[in-house]
Amino acid sequence: MPKEHPAKHPVQHPGDRLNGPNEPNENGAYLVASGLAKSFGDVLAVDDVSFEIIGQEIFGLLGPNGAGKTTTIRMLSTVLPPDAGDVAIGGHSVTREPDRVHRLIGVCPQELALYPELSANDNLVFFGRMAGLSGSDAKSVAAENLALVGLSDRAKDKVEKFSGGMKRRVNIAIALMARPKLLFLDEPTVGIDPQSRNHIFETVLRLRDEGMTVLYTTHYMEEADRLCDRIAVMDGGRLIAIDTPHNLKASIGDPAEVTLEEVFLKLTGRSLRD
Amino acid sequence: MTRPLSIAIFELRRYLADRGELAFGIALPIALFALMYGTFSGEPTFNGTTHIVDLDGGAVTGEILQRLDAIDGLTVELLSDDDATAKLDRSAILTAVVFPAGFSEAVVAGEPAKVVTRQRGNGGNAGQIAVSIVRGVTDAVASEAAARVAVAGALDGAVAQGRIDATLAGLLSASQERPLVTVTSRQLGGDGGDDFVDRLMPGILVMFLTFAVTLGSQSMVEDRRLGTLERLLTTRLTLGQMFIGKFLAGLFRAMFQALVLLSLGFAALQVAGASEYFQVIAYCLLIAGAVAAIGLAIGSLATSRDQAVWAGVVITMFMTVFGGTFFPVDGALDVLSRFTLNRYAIDALDSIISGGESLPSQWLEATVMVGVALVALAIARWGFRATSR
Repeated sequence: MPKEHPAKHPVQHPGDRLNGPNEPNENGAYLVASGLAKSFGDVLAVDDVSFEIIGQEIFGLLGPNGAGKTTTIRMLSTVLPPDAGDVAIGGHSVTREPDRVHRLIGVCPQELALYPELSANDNLVFFGRMAGLSGSDAKSVAAENLALVGLSDRAKDKVEKFSGGMKRRVNIAIALMARPKLLFLDEPTVGIDPQSRNHIFETVLRLRDEGMTVLYTTHYMEEADRLCDRIAVMDGGRLIAIDTPHNLKASIGDPAEVTLEEVFLKLTGRSLRD
Repeated sequence: MTRPLSIAIFELRRYLADRGELAFGIALPIALFALMYGTFSGEPTFNGTTHIVDLDGGAVTGEILQRLDAIDGLTVELLSDDDATAKLDRSAILTAVVFPAGFSEAVVAGEPAKVVTRQRGNGGNAGQIAVSIVRGVTDAVASEAAARVAVAGALDGAVAQGRIDATLAGLLSASQERPLVTVTSRQLGGDGGDDFVDRLMPGILVMFLTFAVTLGSQSMVEDRRLGTLERLLTTRLTLGQMFIGKFLAGLFRAMFQALVLLSLGFAALQVAGASEYFQVIAYCLLIAGAVAAIGLAIGSLATSRDQAVWAGVVITMFMTVFGGTFFPVDGALDVLSRFTLNRYAIDALDSIISGGESLPSQWLEATVMVGVALVALAIARWGFRATSR
């Protein structure tokens, strides 16, 4: 049973204005990337990548190692200026209005971007302050987010004492401190146990249901199949496919029989990349 | 301004949470200073024991014993005649000074009095020195007593004895406070007699403040390594705010160090007054600013933790060794020292603490610190852009 595209049923909140600032455009797209390109020396890491992310969807960005996923996310999140092209998030250009974009996004990087010698709560409050929250707001949002990721009882413990799964959950909780409209999750489930992974899935789905748009990268195909409303596949710096998991599977056979991994291998080949 | 301040406070908390850094930045300088202070200063030039046999028990002997007891480095051990003899016999002690019965009475009466020194062999070096000290004190006390007797005799009852005693006591006290002849010691070599400790405290303080260069340089590199720098750049924090925050963080760390070390130094050693203390703190703010900016510049240019640490250590060691931290520099070293923060910082602190000079008179040294801070901040900003591409 294919998932229904959330853009067909946009969640309407009192006072929401479609097509206004910080809202999806007339096509429902919250993020519009057009002609993105980035080179590092002679290596073309991202080559003319264009796609849209619909408001309140979980958009999967898949690809083998070195496909250009992380470079793309770094450009989308204003960290890396593109050599060509631009991205609009909530109607704001990441190259011309990065400060505006920062108010809309939350980034959960692939590595654990935490201060291990400090407590989970201290980490969250600090990044909350950097996200523009007042001291008291940062504390209350930190408490909410720690509850969301199931770490309320470990709030005062140093992060260095946490398991890998707990650190991953703190990593996500930090990304949520800015109360973002668009959340970037770059391989948030690497190296963690099934329980933590399942908790993260449930958290992401809950956030989507509450109205958040999510860009999700992963190497786990069953994870992408379970979570993502639409999936884009990158290889060699280019976007080679973009569709719903159901349609991608249907493109090579019976969607009930075909796995997303088979689609992925068919699209990107079986040769080793590292 | 609240975000840079938040960064600075956050980094200070990280610093305080790191026991290793605290031990290095606070405990080590205190231990080092205590060690050097104990080695080079504060200790009396002589440490010894004088063994006294008091067969007299009179007021004059009591006065002599009191004065001996007050001498720094000299311990007075009272022995019975038999004990002293037994100890001398078995060489447990090498000298003993005997105040015979009737000694005080004889001195007060203005009659000849004797003190007997017993010694084993030549009495040993320490024993001879101790006996000399006893002899000197005894002479002084006996002379004072003789003076009293002489004055009383000259006045022949015209003035009450109590008044004579009080007047003489006042005169003696005054002469002790303002002696006609004073003897001062000057250390040969160095810069002609500057107190070593006066320079030691600023030297060690500045040395550990400049060590903060290495710590500051790692802050930026560590944020890069952890991924927190990139994460910070996706928040509402601007690049300028981040730089100010990191600069303030280095400044706060160095000032925390300076405050603790200076407060302890001023309180324990009473090297100078409150005015000097606050002027030194104000100048330390400038040193901390320069040090924080250099650390930030290194951290912005370095692409790895090793690079940052090595650059920090090389720069710090150069400034420490050639900046006159432990000894005044001259000749070719003097030229090299002009390229160090330590030279200007130590000169300024030394002048304020022990030279009686004020902070405004150290304008050149202050300008150097501000100039270094501004140049290093500009390099940091440029370096960050260059290494982030």
